[in-house]
Amino acid sequence: MDQNQRIAAYKEYSPRASRLSEEKFLLFLEDITAVFDGFKALDIQALGIEHNELRVIIGPNGAGKTTLCDVVSGKTRPTTGYVFFDGTDITQQTEEEIALRGIGRKFQTPTVFDSLTTYENMELALPDHYHLWPNLFGHTTKAQREHILEILERVGLVDALDLEAKYLSHGQRQWLAISTLILSNPKLLLVDEPAAGLTDAETALTAELLLELKGDHTLIVIEHDMDFVRQLNSFVTVLNEGVIMAEGSMQEVQQNEEVIEAYLGR
Amino acid sequence: MAFCVLRTSFYNSNRRDTKILPVSYVGNPRCTPMPKVRILFRIFAISFSLQVLSGFFICSARADDGFIRSEIHKLTSENTATRKDAVIALAKTGDMRVEAILQSYKLSELYVWNEAVVLCKEIIEDEDFNEFCRVADVLTGEPILDAGGEPHEIPVEELEEISPSRAERKLANSAKFLLRLSSPDRDIRMSGAKKCGDPPGIIASVRQLREMSENDPVKKIRYIAKESLLLIRLNQTSVASDPHAHLEVARELGNMKSMRGRPQLQKLFDALMKTPNGAKPVYDDARKTYKFSIDQIDGYQGFVGGVGNIFRGLSLGSVLILMALGLAITFGLMGVINMAHGELMMIGAYATFEVQRLFGHSPDNPSDLYYIAALPAAFLTAAFVGYLIEVSVVRYLYRRPLESLLATWGIGLILIQLVRIRYGDNIGVNAPTWARGGVEIVQDLVLPYSRCFIIVLCGMCVLLIYYLMNYTKLGLRMRATMQNRNMARSVGVNTQRVDRYTFAFGAGIAGVAGCAWTLIGSVTPDMGQTNFIIDSFLVVVTGGVGELIGVICAGLGIGVLTKVVEPTQIGSFVVGAIWAKILLLVVIVAFIQFKPAGLFAPKGRLSDI
Amino acid sequence: MRLKVGSVIFKKTATAESSNGGNAARLQSFRTNGLGLKSQNAQVAATGGWPIFVQRYVPWALLFVGLVMIPLSYYTGLIAIGTVNMLGRYMAFAIVAVGLDLIWGYTGILSLCQSFFFALGGYAMGMYLAHHGGPEGIIDANNWKIPACLYVVYPYKVGEAPGDALVPWFWKPFYTLPVTALLGLLIPGLAALVIGYVGFRSRVRGVYFAILTQAITVAGWLVFCMNNMKLCGTNGLTRFDRIAGFKLANPSVKVSLYILTLLSLVGVYALCRYIVKSRLGRVLIAIRDDETTLRFSGYKPYIYKLFAFVLAGMIAGLGGMLYAPQMGIFTPANMEASASILVVVWVAVGGRGALSGAILGALAVNLLYNFFTSEKDFLLFVWKAEFWQFILGGLFIGVVLLLPGGLIDLWRRLVRAAR
Repeated sequence: MDQNQRIAAYKEYSPRASRLSEEKFLLFLEDITAVFDGFKALDIQALGIEHNELRVIIGPNGAGKTTLCDVVSGKTRPTTGYVFFDGTDITQQTEEEIALRGIGRKFQTPTVFDSLTTYENMELALPDHYHLWPNLFGHTTKAQREHILEILERVGLVDALDLEAKYLSHGQRQWLAISTLILSNPKLLLVDEPAAGLTDAETALTAELLLELKGDHTLIVIEHDMDFVRQLNSFVTVLNEGVIMAEGSMQEVQQNEEVIEAYLGR
Repeated sequence: MAFCVLRTSFYNSNRRDTKILPVSYVGNPRCTPMPKVRILFRIFAISFSLQVLSGFFICSARADDGFIRSEIHKLTSENTATRKDAVIALAKTGDMRVEAILQSYKLSELYVWNEAVVLCKEIIEDEDFNEFCRVADVLTGEPILDAGGEPHEIPVEELEEISPSRAERKLANSAKFLLRLSSPDRDIRMSGAKKCGDPPGIIASVRQLREMSENDPVKKIRYIAKESLLLIRLNQTSVASDPHAHLEVARELGNMKSMRGRPQLQKLFDALMKTPNGAKPVYDDARKTYKFSIDQIDGYQGFVGGVGNIFRGLSLGSVLILMALGLAITFGLMGVINMAHGELMMIGAYATFEVQRLFGHSPDNPSDLYYIAALPAAFLTAAFVGYLIEVSVVRYLYRRPLESLLATWGIGLILIQLVRIRYGDNIGVNAPTWARGGVEIVQDLVLPYSRCFIIVLCGMCVLLIYYLMNYTKLGLRMRATMQNRNMARSVGVNTQRVDRYTFAFGAGIAGVAGCAWTLIGSVTPDMGQTNFIIDSFLVVVTGGVGELIGVICAGLGIGVLTKVVEPTQIGSFVVGAIWAKILLLVVIVAFIQFKPAGLFAPKGRLSDI
Repeated sequence: MRLKVGSVIFKKTATAESSNGGNAARLQSFRTNGLGLKSQNAQVAATGGWPIFVQRYVPWALLFVGLVMIPLSYYTGLIAIGTVNMLGRYMAFAIVAVGLDLIWGYTGILSLCQSFFFALGGYAMGMYLAHHGGPEGIIDANNWKIPACLYVVYPYKVGEAPGDALVPWFWKPFYTLPVTALLGLLIPGLAALVIGYVGFRSRVRGVYFAILTQAITVAGWLVFCMNNMKLCGTNGLTRFDRIAGFKLANPSVKVSLYILTLLSLVGVYALCRYIVKSRLGRVLIAIRDDETTLRFSGYKPYIYKLFAFVLAGMIAGLGGMLYAPQMGIFTPANMEASASILVVVWVAVGGRGALSGAILGALAVNLLYNFFTSEKDFLLFVWKAEFWQFILGGLFIGVVLLLPGGLIDLWRRLVRAAR
């Protein structure tokens, strides 16, 4: 599909113009630009993520993938444009507010709390415990504990249950970061490079997990690893120099001349 | 009567018709006449004879001793007129030694002994209650020695006192100031001109003042002379007797923005306020005139005061900038908070003190060169101590600002205590002579040289740092290390050496700040901790770590704000240093609400420190 | 050295389980008991022998010594009342240190205005004491007794106070003890709330916050030093006489105050321990580790920081309230910038991130201070009080460079080595 057509198709669903948007798209970005010191890191005219979709965003280094995540999750305020999530404009909201609305994020470098044990890290990610007093007086219920263990068993972190996170290996930290994200059960998961630093087997497991989540969650996965992307077998958006270059299935994108050129360089 | 004459002399434009006489030989033959000296050829019948003496001449500094002695001798005359003439003649000499003689004359300290006039200041008693006097030479003030070379002690009975009458004492007193008017030294002349006008004013000086107000080569003296003239006239006249002339003077004082005229006008105004409104139309008029003049003066003085405060703020800001630059650079480069930075400044100040001692500089025995040597000495000493701190402690604490804060605070404590044990609690650094006084830019706005120097010094340091950072190899390496330490190391930058030099350089700049501070402030061992460290950190916080310009803006801003707010008066409440500081803090906190990372924050991926 | 109250039972089971080995069993225990268990503790517990014995019983022994032995030794004449009083004061400092450990050690926010909060509490209590101290019977026009320290030289005699010598309005609430106690907690808490709100809301972090609080402390100090603020200027609050009707000079009152301070310390410790062991404590640690990430998990860090900061401020205020009557005078010197950093060094020496470390550090540094600020004739040279600054400076440097975990960490390492 031609880019202009694609944009036109999206624009029909602009939440500012259409009521249909909410039904079709969970996340909708419109006219987003992010400028740092005169450098345009991001320039997206329109991008929509449908409900329960798994969207993969690929692109060479410096294409603006992480900046896109930053804009969605509130870490960076876009210079212009709007971000709509679940029918609300979240462009000017803080990170906490956006997170509470149901956008969870895993960072490129896995961020876990070093001085807390694996279990405690998981406990922090339990949904609906963000307020002061419940944290002071509340306790983790048995069901929640079971749930935590279930996830940890799945990713093989049970052995490291009471190990402080600073002693975990890189791969384990990745898993822990993904586990906390899964546990917090957001509507939309922004997963930034989940396969970085993992073995092939682990990568496969990650893909499996993400695909499982796809059933009742919406996911945006940012990835370099083409094998991994193939395993996910989903709709792909290609970013280059901050602009959406192509969209489509993996096969379609791979045959796109422009994409090949951008990836291989000249 | 007197004021009528004065008025005529003032507002009568007859002056153009007056004849110019070469008067160099009138009076004192020792005086050299000023070229283009003009005199009013108008001899007033009234006014006492002193007016005649009002010098139209600027005399040489020292009159002939013989002449003075002969005039002094005339003071012993029985004839009142002769005595008066002698005083007049003495005053005309313009010799400052005469001032003491006139003072002694006034206080009846002059005696006749062996037909000569001698000075006797103290009378001593021996065991038998016989009174003796140690006499001194009237001109030199040195004791007169007897044959044995001992001070001559003369029985009181042998002395004959010269006791001037009340009128003569007054005359002598006035003559003292008149004497100054003729001095070739501009400062003495200026003080004379000022004194003559201070209430109640010396009417006898009017002529000479008028002469000075037109012809004195120094502009400031011309101004003061005119001001004094007006003040005398203001005192001589009153609304009741001659409203027109009086109010003209008041208006003129207002136009001149005369600071000295203000209390006088206020007094007159207050006095008038007691009379009921509309009692006499002329009073209302006068009230208006006074008020207008006072407002004029206040407006101008407010402006001048404001500019002066801003200037003081700029110099304070300059010291803060010098301090903050080192802090910002070390924080940006190494992620280290150096709480001992204030102590490095203190070390710079003490290094200045040591150099001063080495040069033997003191107010009595100035040796101004010491300051030239003190600047590099302060830089090097502080830089050396900074280097030691870096090598021994700071290098283990990179990117650990909170820990480095604690450790360097400890270093600061140790340095303070060392200095306190060595030097005690207070030392005096004497500014070099050239840093005293100041330049008067416009009327009543004096910019002290010391503060000018500090601002210039700060500007030079900033330029130097800018040059170092942007045009030298060290600067390039420094910037590279600042942005990405590992990357810099991998391309062959010896980051450790860069760190050390940078730290030492920052410390040296703090030392220079300490050296500069000795010109305007006091030096104590804990000066850095109590006065500077917090303020300079606030400068860094406000300015941001990223850019030199941020520190400069914030430093000047904070300095100026402090000094402008301090003397502000709200009703009867003067803000003062403490509330100014608190207000400043509130402003900074409010500012941080909008710009948490300072004025010029680093952007992008580097922003997380 | 850890005061195990609730988790002793659990540790027993944990010991049993882990010695039995087996993941399944451990998991089972975890499922039923539901407590996270730090591996370190598990290891220590697993060793048995004297370390576990020491760890379990030393705190109780210390508490016993503090509560029973010390008063007893005084009454049997072994130690002077001055020593008891001194220990009481140092424990008031320890309370402040526990508060700082909560905010710095756990939450990672270096606050340099704990001494300011301390002084606010101290001034509250000091004003109460000044109301009930000094010469009796001198009243102003509104029938209020004029505190003696309001004047540098007390100018009045009974019945002589002129009409314009009035007790300032802000002195009046501190007339009764309950209100004073309440205000002594609320005022520092409120101050902390304001400072914390403006600081945390705009995300002032790390050294920036430290510098800001330091500046606030200095500003507060300057204000309290001003003579025309009617806060007694640099002389401070003096001429205390009685508290709740009891003479302060009475040794029994001093012992009581000592015990009260010790109990407060235990109470504060227990409260803070409960907090750091709760889920909220983990949020605080997470803030220390990585505040930004926490924000993306939906937590609002500034609320938690504010909570910890206000609590720490109130604890510091409590310390000040207990300190003032034992010291007998309260001056602005208690809130100098250096006093503020001193609190930090107590915690650093003891070991940040461990509440018992804060207590240990406060007591250790102050006892050291007590020892080294008197002139001593050593073999080779005479030790002078002014040399204390060198030791203090050395402590700052040494603890940061050589002992980042503080004394408590040293102790733990010793215990581990003894295994």
